[in-house]
Amino acid sequence: MILSVNEITIFLISISVLLFFARSFGELSRYLKQPIIIGEITAGIILGPTILGAFFPETLNKLFHESDGVNYALQGLTLLGVIMLLLVSGLEIDLSLIVRQSKTAFLISIAGIIFPFFVGFTSAYFFPKWFGIHDMEMHFIFALFVGTALSITALPVVAKTLMDLNIFKTEIGFLVIASAMFDDLLGWIIFSIILGMIGQHSSNNIGLGYLLISIFTFIVFVLIFGRKLINFIIPYLHKFTSYPGGILSFIFILGFLGAAFTEYLGIHAIFGAFIVGIAIGDSVHLREETREIIYQFVTNIFAPLFFVTIGLKVNFIEHFDFGLVTIFLLLAFLGKVVGCSLGAYWGGVGKYESLAIGFGMNSRGAMEIVLGTLALQAGLIQEKVFVALVIMALVTSISSAPIMSYFIKKGKENFGILSFLKPNNINFSNAVSKNEIITELCETISKNYNLNNEEILSKVLEREKSISTGLEKHLAIPHARINITDPIVAIAIHKNGIDWDSFDKLPAKLIILLLTPIDKPEMQLMFLSDIAKKFNDINFIGEIISSKDSKEIISKVKQL
Amino acid sequence: MIFTKIGLAITFSPNGLPLLKTAARIQNLFSSKLCLIHVGEKTDYSEIQMKKLIEKAGIPEESYQLVWQNGEPSKAIINAASENGVDLLIAGALEKETVIKYYMGSVARTLMREALCSVLIITNPSSELGSFKKFCVSVEFSSLGETAVKKSYEFAKLEKAEEFVLIKEFEVPGLAITVYDSGSTQDTQKSKLQWQHEEEEKLGIFAKELNLKGLKYYNVALFGKQGWEARNFVKNNGSDLFVVPSPPKKLKFFDKIFQHDLEFILSQLPCSLLIIRN
Repeated sequence: MILSVNEITIFLISISVLLFFARSFGELSRYLKQPIIIGEITAGIILGPTILGAFFPETLNKLFHESDGVNYALQGLTLLGVIMLLLVSGLEIDLSLIVRQSKTAFLISIAGIIFPFFVGFTSAYFFPKWFGIHDMEMHFIFALFVGTALSITALPVVAKTLMDLNIFKTEIGFLVIASAMFDDLLGWIIFSIILGMIGQHSSNNIGLGYLLISIFTFIVFVLIFGRKLINFIIPYLHKFTSYPGGILSFIFILGFLGAAFTEYLGIHAIFGAFIVGIAIGDSVHLREETREIIYQFVTNIFAPLFFVTIGLKVNFIEHFDFGLVTIFLLLAFLGKVVGCSLGAYWGGVGKYESLAIGFGMNSRGAMEIVLGTLALQAGLIQEKVFVALVIMALVTSISSAPIMSYFIKKGKENFGILSFLKPNNINFSNAVSKNEIITELCETISKNYNLNNEEILSKVLEREKSISTGLEKHLAIPHARINITDPIVAIAIHKNGIDWDSFDKLPAKLIILLLTPIDKPEMQLMFLSDIAKKFNDINFIGEIISSKDSKEIISKVKQL
Repeated sequence: MIFTKIGLAITFSPNGLPLLKTAARIQNLFSSKLCLIHVGEKTDYSEIQMKKLIEKAGIPEESYQLVWQNGEPSKAIINAASENGVDLLIAGALEKETVIKYYMGSVARTLMREALCSVLIITNPSSELGSFKKFCVSVEFSSLGETAVKKSYEFAKLEKAEEFVLIKEFEVPGLAITVYDSGSTQDTQKSKLQWQHEEEEKLGIFAKELNLKGLKYYNVALFGKQGWEARNFVKNNGSDLFVVPSPPKKLKFFDKIFQHDLEFILSQLPCSLLIIRN
């Protein structure tokens, strides 16, 4: 079939309209500090039967439905979009990170899969009518699907949230990313099995055993042998082909071939693209710049097309079921937040940080919508369930950042270094030498914490002897690592100042004594760097020095 | 004393003599004891051959102890080193092995992964070896990391090294994916630079706390895959000794398939390697 001039024109106009709306609403979302996908889905709802179709049905029909040729072309384009989306999702899965993840990350990942899966599966299995399921033959597969849908975490939304909250390169950020990657990997494997089971159910052409063997053989082959081969080839591509053309073509060729192969096996094409993406992304030779180019290319052109067309297929008002949306939202929050928070808590993370991790992992974003769309296309779910899933994905994505931010702040109040400062650890000193101030502070600490004064004093003085701990702007941070489990902070204020051999030759007036556990050198480095940064303003130090009593100092320090 | 007893896994191969000379040189440098470990049957002939080899290396009879072991070479060497109180084991290795050998596990690689003491691996030992001039140390903010820096710094001072570089790698998995959701490449670049600055600052405090005096050192923070970035830096920098603290867990076969950290370095050694263990 060849497209007529008229069809080609309509096709190109349709794409332009879709991209224009996706970008405009995406930018609006960005402006409102929301995930960009919110704008793209909204653009689709406006362009689709929900809004445009209700007021200008002919325009909608003309642009997107009238011609079969245009329809096929659009379908092809969105299929490419979703395959590329999964290819780039795979690129960012770091296999070695999953393999060597800490016990805590493992607990978060596992609890973050098992708990929501259990909640989703049991609800859908025992109460199918809540979800409008009447076909009892598909009932089991549907319950598996709901379990999987609730277990998914959208890595891109999580990553952006961590970036915005400035916690990407922290212990929490690392835990969330490692767990989200693991859940993503496991979630897609389970979903590919479900998709295969639907295919098996409808055409009866393959057995479940064959399906499982195919999936696992494909995974093992690509992730072990394919990955090594790709890692071997990429340096040659960099050497002998133009950059970035050579490597980009290579990635997309392999991605599409992987997709074609899994489609042929009876599993969906996206699964092949995802697994091939992981194999490529794991290569140490793949440059960070290449990843960014691919993300820009896919997420600014193809992914928006896919997400906008979702709104074209379904009427979101007609299929909106308040009860179902509420059920999905409740199950989503209950499953993921409780599961991941408990996992983190069991892994030794603090109460507030665990909750921050739970809410961070709760964002479903793009991945949930892809999952829902495929399930809708496969006939596994009805429009009502699809709409509820999309709303759940959007609500969990929107709510993730602010709630996470709230608990992170709460955690900082309780666990930041200055939270270890107690009013009775603050001295107003008239000492005549730095050794005398240190001695006073050590006595205060040993009294308040029942520690061996001589041991602390000798450690602090020993450290002081090697290089002075006097910094700039009247600040000195004498410190030592001793046999304690939690850090200890004490402050001495010396109004006239005392010579501390500082860089700027100014006398030290604010003296912060820091004691950290002997076996945690990094904690000492972090706190030293943190204190130096927080007390970088000479006026603020002046304000602290002029405080009348310990309580005033504590309240001023808390403002930091 | 940096190391009190040096062990050398010695063979009758062409590498045997240069390795013996290196071990003797390091023994003198550290004023330590020397324990030569040979895995093979002790016969009159092999004893004479061994004696000749040691004499050729210029090692006086009273300054070494010779241990004969039987059994699977890597296990026998590790046991002998442990039984004789060796705290630095020296062995020679190829920079890169064939794929099959890498996965099967050669003697040198097994020593690197499984020895209970520190290990010094000399690459290409067939050539005449001088002193190490360019040191690179991979820094870990841990007690073992501190020990690794202190020991290698003292080693570098004894060697009168020309360069001593402290490297801190940091990895931020998933960073590129922030571009996906309305982030920009400029933002990720800005974050990377900021993190690099923070790591360099921490590295500066770390080095200052260790009170390293007598030899100028440089600090470098590297963004990227742990182990891989350091390996490349060392290679490009032309360093001749790379010092790493040993990983907390033993590396197993699984780690060879999904390589990370030290495994990247072991698969292709950038230069001679010193693995510090407690």
